[in-house]
Amino acid sequence: MTKKLDMKEVKVALERKVAQTYEPVKPAMQFGFVHNNVDCIGCRACEIACKDKNGLAPGPRFRRVMYVEGGTFPDVFAYKVNMSCNHCAEPACLPTCPTGAIWKREKDGIVDIDSTLCIGCRKCEAACPYGAPQWNVQEQIIQKCNLCVDEIDAGRKPYCVMACMMRVLDIGPIDKLWAGQHQTKAVGPNDKIVRQVKNMASPELTKPSIAFVPHSKGKVE
Amino acid sequence: MATSPVLRSRWPTPKAVAVDAENGGKLLRATYSPLHFKPAIESASDAQCLACHKEVLEDKPRVASPAGVKAADSLAWYQRTSTYSGDQDTFHRRHLTTPLAKKLMNLKCNTCHQGHDPREEAPGSSATAAPQSDNAFTLRKQVNPETTCLKCHGQMPAKEIMGLPGPWHEVKEMFQNDCLTCHAAIRTKRHQVTYLNAEAIEAMAVAGKESKTADDVCYGCHGGRSWYRIAYPYARNAWPGMGDITPEWALQRPQHSESRFLKAEPKP
Repeated sequence: MTKKLDMKEVKVALERKVAQTYEPVKPAMQFGFVHNNVDCIGCRACEIACKDKNGLAPGPRFRRVMYVEGGTFPDVFAYKVNMSCNHCAEPACLPTCPTGAIWKREKDGIVDIDSTLCIGCRKCEAACPYGAPQWNVQEQIIQKCNLCVDEIDAGRKPYCVMACMMRVLDIGPIDKLWAGQHQTKAVGPNDKIVRQVKNMASPELTKPSIAFVPHSKGKVE
Repeated sequence: MATSPVLRSRWPTPKAVAVDAENGGKLLRATYSPLHFKPAIESASDAQCLACHKEVLEDKPRVASPAGVKAADSLAWYQRTSTYSGDQDTFHRRHLTTPLAKKLMNLKCNTCHQGHDPREEAPGSSATAAPQSDNAFTLRKQVNPETTCLKCHGQMPAKEIMGLPGPWHEVKEMFQNDCLTCHAAIRTKRHQVTYLNAEAIEAMAVAGKESKTADDVCYGCHGGRSWYRIAYPYARNAWPGMGDITPEWALQRPQHSESRFLKAEPKP
């Protein structure tokens, strides 16, 4: 026989529970991106494949290839940094959402979003240190990369990775990528993997699941 | 919400630029206004910013999500504290226009937005750009969360610095759920920066003590909305009578707040 709930008690318990601090999900395995900053030619095929797959109008860009150039002749440099959502171990966007539209998958750590639940308060957009949540002006909602979760569940790779003609973008278990133990064409035999490149917000903020092969001028001292 | 979509994107679309050219190039002139660059942005008023970016404060959240989730019925866990009031609102309005924000804070557009060349993806990318050491913005962000958001949305280092036996939410009952149990006497000169209203914050904390909700008042910023997993390294201003030896945890910390946030000393 089902015990009848004391709704007053439930309400008090619920209020106590929801005013607690947020505890991040600890996934069984964490997927992450790896990008080779040196060999990327900046063709933006990944950006376009992403926009195509997600039906994005001009404006929101889930993935972005950033051209970083500088120096003084003859010591000049140019390299690309390519980032989308970093599917952080402890995402800042997730706890800000008032409707629970953002969640982290326990099985592979993907930070997914159901934008049909979004009320457009834009708190997640502000909280993300890496600019991942994107504002859709027409719909007045936030959308973001979900690592093509449907492709992942079908055993394939995300559209951006599949579109990369230079094979400088890939995904894999992030722990193995950081340890250099994951076989990928994005990382050469003598390349050293880093977790942060110059001008990127500190990875200590949310522990982003991303690895880079950095340019010599993009290394963080 | 019927503002120009042209100004909503970070970079004008080709179509917008073409339309703009027919109208005398006002948009491009506005994009490259000195107000978007240092040093003019440092003294820009909110009114000057909002003359073009008025949608920042005019836009409100949707009444309901596309699937029908009503904004009025949705409250996050951090929105159920005693200090939270009012309807769901946007990030910018919550920080600038709500009664609590106006009462406790003195945030301005340029508190967070310090400007940069709109062509640049990273500091130091052109001869006229800010140097690469400039930390006003980061890749994909127009602000640097480490020097802005983290001030109020970092972790509270309860164990490491204050020596509490555990995280605040686990041990707060031991301290009557009240930060002022200790902080009525320890580090009494607080919040003395231009972007906060120190007197209002202190008065609210005292009022919270009387209504037994002081925890909500302080913890709202000091750990209760910690989107980030590290603590902000607040400047360690030694208080009168404090010993000369700097503790280990404070060795890497500045001795005073950033100069742009320092309050002018009252004249005798």
